[in-house]
Amino acid sequence: MKNKDTKALDYLYDHYAAALYGSVVRIVKNEDIASEVLQDVFLKIWERIGSYDPGKGRLFTWMINVARNHAIDKTRSREVIKSRKTDDIDLLVHKIDRTETGETHTDTIGLTEVLNRLTPDQRFVVDYLYLKGYTHTELAEEFNIPLGTVKTRLRAAMMELRSLLNVEDKE
Amino acid sequence: MNVQEYIASGVLEVYALGDLPAHERAQVEENIVRYPALREELARIEWTQAALLKQASIAPPAAVKQHLMQRLAPPAREGQTVGWVPAYWRLAAAASIVLAVVAGYLAFYYRAQWVRSQVALNEYMAQNQQMAQNYNTVNERLDKLQADLAIIENTQFTKVVMTGTQNDPQAQASVYWNKTTEEVYVSIQSLKGIARENQYQLWALVDGKPVDAGVFDGGFTGLLKLKNVKGAQAFAITVETRGGVASPTLSAMQVIGALPRG
Repeated sequence: MKNKDTKALDYLYDHYAAALYGSVVRIVKNEDIASEVLQDVFLKIWERIGSYDPGKGRLFTWMINVARNHAIDKTRSREVIKSRKTDDIDLLVHKIDRTETGETHTDTIGLTEVLNRLTPDQRFVVDYLYLKGYTHTELAEEFNIPLGTVKTRLRAAMMELRSLLNVEDKE
Repeated sequence: MNVQEYIASGVLEVYALGDLPAHERAQVEENIVRYPALREELARIEWTQAALLKQASIAPPAAVKQHLMQRLAPPAREGQTVGWVPAYWRLAAAASIVLAVVAGYLAFYYRAQWVRSQVALNEYMAQNQQMAQNYNTVNERLDKLQADLAIIENTQFTKVVMTGTQNDPQAQASVYWNKTTEEVYVSIQSLKGIARENQYQLWALVDGKPVDAGVFDGGFTGLLKLKNVKGAQAFAITVETRGGVASPTLSAMQVIGALPRG
């Protein structure tokens, strides 16, 4: 019984760990802490899988939300939030490893290239919200941008990414 | 509620990011249930978000998975009394997760396949169109060549070779003239280039007087039909201002040739 239990988790891990770890490591900016957070995230996912409601969105969305929130909480609890915001995350971005989940993306264009095709405004919100782990309210406050503007810029960026990734991402 | 405005506000993107406070989250969830268009848009946003984050994947150290599995599978307690019901539910939950994950993956996979075939189809259609265009171009040129050849082979047409004057001794051009139908075709073997504001003008000599036979630009191949001419004894080409003139500028004559006697 227990073995069968963990098979599902095994599957989830193999398919999603790299995407979750990519987010987590960019937010906490430390590979040891990121590894710890990733473990916690999967335990949390495993405990709370019953509360996942497919009517409210994809499983991946739910998982990435759990991962992102946990990572953000972690940085706050360690009070590294200030240094996080002043550090340059780009160093880590260069360390990007291709996912080793069996779905190789050899024919996709890289993340940097995708981001480079966005306008500076769009790239800014995607960078801060998705890669640096800012919440949209933090972004609005810290850079003095109205909350509505943050949202509409994110919307524009996601529309652009949709067309960029739709063609490029040959899953 | 205006669905389009709601979508344009970007609130669904923030929802997908997991960033909304609880009460706003609940509102979005209510709206999604009520408006199918919102659910569809959210699905597209989630797809984009997943694709972006997959691009941003970083493989975690291998040890993480080992630790995780160890923490999840503590030494099995053989206390059968507590085992039954939870085990059954856990199995059911596991099965449904696998099912959901597989279904999700398949949906993603087939959508990607569909997009890919769509792209391929568009490519083939574009190629096909290009080929049809090429075929038409070649066909038109072939028709033109056949028509030209028919005139050259037609014994009704007299070929008049015009040779260069002192303006351009190397120049050469020909006229094919049908005495009966009065049709005139010109072909260029060698004429020097002229300025944009100028054009060549063909003249027929009829009883010693120059008669306008039409203007033309260089740069064509084969035969070019010009104005009909009656009773010509010779042909000449001059360079004139664009549109042609009433009487030829003799100093700008490029080539001249008389009809063969008889």
